[in-house]
Order: sequence, then structure tokens, then C-alpha cells
Amino acid sequence: MNYPVWYVPTFGGGLLIALVAIVHVFVSHFAVGGGLYLVMAERKALREKDQSVLDFVKKHTKFFMLLTMVFGGLTGVAIWFVISLIHPAATSLLIHTFVFGWAAEWVFFLVEIIALFIYFYTFGKMDDRTHQTIGWIYFGAAWMSLFLITGIIDFMLTPGAWVTNGNFWSGFFNPTFWPSLFFRSFMSFMLAGCYGFLTATFLEDEVTRHKMIRYSGIWALVSLLFSVPSGWWYMSVLPDKARTLVVGGSPTIATAVKVGAFSMALLAGLVIALILLNPKARIRSMTVIVMIAAMGYMGAFEWTREAARRPYIVNEVMYSNGILKKDVERINREGFLKNAKWVQHKEVTEVNQLEAGKELFLHQCFVCHSLGGMNNDIINRTKNMSFNAMRKYLATIHEKRYFMPPFVGNDSELEALAAYITAGIHKKTLIEDNAAAGDRGKLLYDENCAACHTADSIKPKMAGWSRDKVRKALDNLPALNPAMSDYNAPPADKDAMAGYLFGLNNPDVAAPSKVVGATLFEDNCAACHSLDQIKPKMTGWSMEKVRASLDKLPALNSAMPDYNGTPAEKDAMADYISKQLGGAK
Amino acid sequence: MNPANLIPTADALTVHWGWLQFLLMLTFPLHLFAMNAMLGSALAAFISHLLPGRQYRELAHQLAKALPFLVAFTVNLGVAPLLFVNVIYGHLLYSSTVLMGLFWLGVIPLVIVAYYLAYIYDFSFKKLGNIAIFGIFAVLILLMSVGFIFTNNMTMMISPASWSRWFNTPGGTLLNLADPALLSRYIHLMTGSLAVGGLFTAVYSVTFLKRDREVAKAGLKLGMQLFTWLTALQLLVGIWFLITLPSEILKRFMGGNNLATGLLAVGVVLAIATLVTGYKQKVMATLWLTLPLVYVMSFMRDSIRTGYLAQYFDMTKVPTNVQWSPLTFFLATLVFGLIVIVWMLSKLPKTDKV
Repeated sequence: MNYPVWYVPTFGGGLLIALVAIVHVFVSHFAVGGGLYLVMAERKALREKDQSVLDFVKKHTKFFMLLTMVFGGLTGVAIWFVISLIHPAATSLLIHTFVFGWAAEWVFFLVEIIALFIYFYTFGKMDDRTHQTIGWIYFGAAWMSLFLITGIIDFMLTPGAWVTNGNFWSGFFNPTFWPSLFFRSFMSFMLAGCYGFLTATFLEDEVTRHKMIRYSGIWALVSLLFSVPSGWWYMSVLPDKARTLVVGGSPTIATAVKVGAFSMALLAGLVIALILLNPKARIRSMTVIVMIAAMGYMGAFEWTREAARRPYIVNEVMYSNGILKKDVERINREGFLKNAKWVQHKEVTEVNQLEAGKELFLHQCFVCHSLGGMNNDIINRTKNMSFNAMRKYLATIHEKRYFMPPFVGNDSELEALAAYITAGIHKKTLIEDNAAAGDRGKLLYDENCAACHTADSIKPKMAGWSRDKVRKALDNLPALNPAMSDYNAPPADKDAMAGYLFGLNNPDVAAPSKVVGATLFEDNCAACHSLDQIKPKMTGWSMEKVRASLDKLPALNSAMPDYNGTPAEKDAMADYISKQLGGAK
Repeated sequence: MNPANLIPTADALTVHWGWLQFLLMLTFPLHLFAMNAMLGSALAAFISHLLPGRQYRELAHQLAKALPFLVAFTVNLGVAPLLFVNVIYGHLLYSSTVLMGLFWLGVIPLVIVAYYLAYIYDFSFKKLGNIAIFGIFAVLILLMSVGFIFTNNMTMMISPASWSRWFNTPGGTLLNLADPALLSRYIHLMTGSLAVGGLFTAVYSVTFLKRDREVAKAGLKLGMQLFTWLTALQLLVGIWFLITLPSEILKRFMGGNNLATGLLAVGVVLAIATLVTGYKQKVMATLWLTLPLVYVMSFMRDSIRTGYLAQYFDMTKVPTNVQWSPLTFFLATLVFGLIVIVWMLSKLPKTDKV
């Protein structure tokens, strides 16, 4: 809200960050591990006085220099560019907190490139001992970059005592720093082994090729084995909420963890097979599979780390949309638009509701939700929701789904956002409601469940269930799927929803539960007048009279619009009203 | 809409603003030196392809070898000042960055392509034959276009009055083209860069290429000619830039502000002095005059920024929660890093020609 938003509707920024970050993560970790790999491989060649291995190392260094210095260096700058574009408030927070951490990293970056240039251009032209020292300096500087960036990245996941004392070192040596540093170091060595693997397959001399493939394989395998306990350590120090997300609180996150573990197993198996069992398997295509598996392992880990931070960009400090947690209460009181810089509507009025709603969407939702794009498309995700359902959903969005930030703003702003999404994006009318179809169960379903899964998607899973079974399931939703939270509603609501869900697979049996006059009245009439207000005017009316008047409401009062319900709905509403009037038939 | 209402609130600093300003003004000219050498050697290499004789062909080849280093150092030495700009002016910079997001991101692929082309130009110089001239031309154009994008962002961030265009065009496609001082500023920067880059070519030729006297002589002549002619042109371009500035900023340099006026006077004197030494092809004398000149120009640039922002932002008023230890850690790292670098470089002469 402090900054403008880069708004390309179909293109969410999150995707861009993910793309650049994934590329950079692979290359930068390779740059660190590769530094060690190069020096160790050179040492091996020097000890064994093996010129062919030395030639291999030199060739590998050139490839390494072109990949890490150009591509690695610039994608690192790219991440900085992208995050300042997509998350300016968070970037500002990080830069202001850690400016001298980054400045120190710049020094190591400078040492790194000078060392690498010298290492490459003096290969074979410098005495061995000095050349090895230059190589060690390169590795040391690269690893220090990893050290510094780890502190800043993990600060975002677990800011630790910094939240209360604001101290640089408290934020830097945060609770996940050490396990993350170990894990990343082993990952970087593993990736270096994998790259070595790949380049070794290009060696023409058979003896050298087998030698270097074995050497690289052992690298990858040992690093992988060490990465497992450090990964476990990392998981164990995650904050509770983040850990719940990672170990199964959210289905997509759980899948990512599984993908990571699976790739790891696949990788380990292939490496062992390649190194120990079958020299014939030392072919390029196998090393490519290993490489992809390694990247899958690493990628799943990175994705998980990003996901575990949700809904925050800096855990417990700043939400993904740049709003500080500590400001939420005040903004709720004063209004979001009033506090926002880059908005044209400072408050919601009847006239500007949709425009103001769009501004709220832009500043609170767009950072994660594209409009019709690949990235968490808001159109697709809200298509089942009516205005009322959206309104109720937004009011408790963070409580219902922890990884979504809360809506921040006053009631009229919340309505404006709900109006923009339903009426602005989906062109639904603001009074339109699924309950107009007459089913209270459906309305409850839309409000509480449809954001995650449509009725169609769960229908097959309940095929053959009795109404009683459906009803009981609603009492313990996490038993069905740990990602689901409990449905805390009165038994009557659960009965209604159970009736609706049962009706999905048993339309004939469930039909009677579909028409509920109370809901119809609430959704179509109560906005202007309560039942108590109209009761005195209808004293003594028969049900037929009530039913007939529903066909010509403007005749009763010219301010009333026609009620466009189906005859069955009108029957149901007439039945309800007349019962409330005193049981007239 | 009042532009000041759009300006985001600046986050608190962790050291006195003077430290950040000092580090910014210290490191930015270092970036300029590398960037100037990069652009200038690309231009000199390009021109060498057009000139007859073995010595120019060899000069281009030798410049090709230097170019990847220069790109790497331009990027690296750009990181530090950009970091300090982020701290002092981040709230302004991020706003203008969002406005021109698409172009800003374009910097990355442009530099990556230019960087790889520079490597191809270096590693495959002989293989490329006559095509090489197109390669180096592409490098030059790509890198100069990066400069244009930077000029846009650096001027848009100090012009909040232009920001409200975002409400109609939020897709990151805005540039600062309506600013009357944009083009003159960009041309001023490029002219200066290419001139200093010419000087770099001359220095490089008389130091690293001195074994081949013909090549060294050709490099010296071409480099100094580029420097002298472009510096002479720069005097005119500089005047053009000054008169396109808003009048209140121009006044700073015309006696309104003692420091700004003094900087301009020193800058002009130094520039004229370099013209004399440049014309006489006195390389080292020109170099020693140019080094402070680039610093003076950076300070003038900063004074212009202060002038633009006078009504919007005062860095001395940003809240500060001082923490000394991170700064100490950085300074210690810097000293340590420089010692390591000097040690590594000291090992170079013992090797054969690199």
C-alpha cells in the first residue's frame, strides 16, 4: 500500500520470482560447491601427476566461469531487481536491516570474481601451490556469500529475536540459520558433483572418464547423505505453524515435500548404481537423470521454504502483500484506503465501490493472484462464490486458511473487495446468491468449502455414502484430509450441508431439503426489511395471499423490485413467511 | 494529485545517513570507471575494425580480451552503489522501478546477451573474421541501451510529479521521456563515458600492450583521439544538459549554491586541462586529471538529485536507529577483502603473460 503495483493482469509477479529464483539457486549453489570441487579435483590431479585430469579441471573451470560468473552473477542481480519490483516494501525492510550484510557479500563477490579470473587464466602458468591457494580463496569467498545470504533468507522464514529487539545479529543468526547453512552447503557440494558427473561424460579418454565419473559420483553421494540429517534438522527447527504447513497442513506443500524426497531417493539409487555396480551405466543420459533428480530435490526444498513462510514475506512481521502485522489493527480501524499511498479512492462510496474494490484487490491480493493467468488465478478460484459467500469468506480468510493473509481494512472496504471480485470480475449481481436456488446447505458449502474444492470435485469421493456418513464426516474433517480445518458450525448448519452434499449423489432423495424459505427471505428481502418489520402489515394474510403477492411485489410497494425466484422458491418463501405470521395455511 | 502524497514512507536507517552517503559517493565513481572502460574499449575495438593495418586488427583483439573482465567489474562495482542508493532512496527508486518494471527487468537479459557476446568476441576472435565487427557493435549497442534504461530510472525516481501516470498505465511500460533533461543527460553521460573509455584504451595500450610497439602506438593514438574529441564535444553537450535542467537547479550551479557552483568551476577547469594534455597525448597526466574529474562529475550529479528532491525528500530527516557492529563488520570485511585481492594480484607478475 506504500508502493505502486506492477499490474499486468494475466501475469502474476510470483511466477517471475519463482523462475528467476530457481535458476539462480541452482547456479549459485553450483558456484559454491563447484569451487571446492575444482580445487579438490586439481589436488587429486597434482598428487597423481595426471595431466588428463588436470586438463579436465581446466576445461571444467572455463565452463564453470562462463556459467557462474555471467549467468550466476546476473541472475543474482535479477533476483534483487525482481523482488524490488514485486515486493518493494519487503525489499526495503530487508535492505534497511541487512545493508551491511549485503555490502560484505559484495566484497566477497569481488574477491570471488578476481580469484576465479586468476584461477582460470593462470592455469598451468602459476606454481601449483599458489594456484591451489587461489582456488581455495575462490571457494572461501563463494562460501562466505552463501553464509551471508543464508542469514538474510532464513531471517524471512524465522526472524527470531529480531522481532522484539531489532538487532542485526539476532535477525542474522536466526533459529533456522545453522541447519540451513549446513543443508545448503551439502546441497551445493552435491550439485557440484552432479555437474562434474555431466562434464566428465564428455571426456574422450576412457580411463580418465571412468575415474572422474567415479570421483564425481562419490562427491554427490556423500554430500547427499550428509544433506539428509541437516535437512531433518532444518525441518525440526521450523516454527510450529510453518512446520504444520510443511509436513502436511497444505496439500500442495505436502506434495512438494514428497517430490523432494522422491527425487532424493531416485538420485541416491542412481548414483549408487552408477558408481558401484555397473560401469556401463556411466553414460551421459544417466547423468542427466541424476542432474534432474538433484535439481528436483533442491527445488522442492526451496519451494517448501518459500511456502512455509506463507502468508508472510517476513514471518510474523510482514504479510506477502507488504502490510505489517503490527499495523493491521490500526488499519482495520482507520480504513486501508485512507492509509494507502497509491490509490485514487480514499474511501468507499456507493458510486466508487467497484473501483475502490479493484484498488484493494491490487494492493492486497494481486501479489499472489493473477487475473486469468497461470499464477493462482483469482477468476478460477472464486467462480463458485457469490457476493455474500465472498464477503463472509474474506472476513475470516486468514482463520480459515492460515496461509492467506487477513483482509485488512474496514467493513465497507471488505464489501468493496467482495463486490469487485463477484460483480466486477464475474459480473454477478450483488444480491445474487447461490441460496437463491433455495438451498441453505449449498450456501453454507459455498461459504465454507468452495474456495478449496468445488462440489463436483468431491462428489465422486462421496459416492455411495449415506446421509448419516456425510453428516458424521462434517464433525471431523481433518480425518478426511489433514489439510482441512474443523467445520465449526451449529448442528443445524451441518445438517443442512450434509443434506446438500448427500443430494449431490442422490438428487431424488435429497430434493425436499433443497428449498428453504428462511434463507431465501434472508438473501432476497432482509437487506431492506426484517420479518418483524413486515409482520404487522401482513396480519391475517393467508398463505395463498402471501404467495400471490410474491408475484407482484411492486404492487405492494413501488420501491420493491420484482422477485425473480422460481415458483418452487416462491412457494417455499410463502410457506416460511406464513408460518412466521402464525401458522396460517 | 499532489505528487508528495504518492511518496512512500522511508524506512529507518541503521547508521547515520552520512555513512551511507559517503559509501555511495565512494563506490559510484568506481562503477563509472569500469563502465566507461567497458563502453570505451568496445567503441575503440569497433573503430579498430574499420581502420586498415595489422596493428588495429591486433588492437581490437587485445581489447576483446579485456572486455569480459570489464563487464564483470562493471556489474560488480555497480552492486555496491546500487545497494547504498537502495538504502537512502529506496522508497523513491522502487516506486519508479514499478512504473518502468518491464524495461527495468530488460536490463538483465540485455547484459547477459552482451556479456556472452563479449566472451564469444574474445574466445572466437580469429574464427569470427569479418563478422567480429558486428559482434562488438551489438555489444556496444546493448550496453548503451542498458545505460538508457538506468538514466530513465534514475531521473524518474527524482521526479514524483511524473508518477501519477501509473494510475492509467500500471503495466510497467512507462519511461521518463517527457523529462526535457533526459536526453541531454543520457548523451552527456555517454559522451563522457566513451571519452574516458578512450583514455582507458590508451592507458591499456601503453601498459599491457607495450611489447608490441605498433599496437601500443595505435592504441595510444586512437584512445587519446577519442578522448580529446569527445571531451571537446562534451563541453557543448554539458552546456546543453545544464540549460535543459529546471531553472531552480540550474541556479544552484550559477551561484545559488556554493558547493554546486564550485564543483562546476572545478569540473570545467579539469576538463579543459585534460583537453590540453589529451591533445598532447600525455596519457598519464590526462589520467591523473580525469580520476578527480569523474569524482567531481559524480558530486555534481548528486547535487542535481538533491535539487530535484528538495521539495520532496530530505535524507537527514529519516529516522535512525544506530547499530555500529554491522558497519564495523562490513568495514573489516572490506579491508580483509582488499588485502586478499592485493595478495592475489601480487602473485600475477610471477606468471607468464596472461
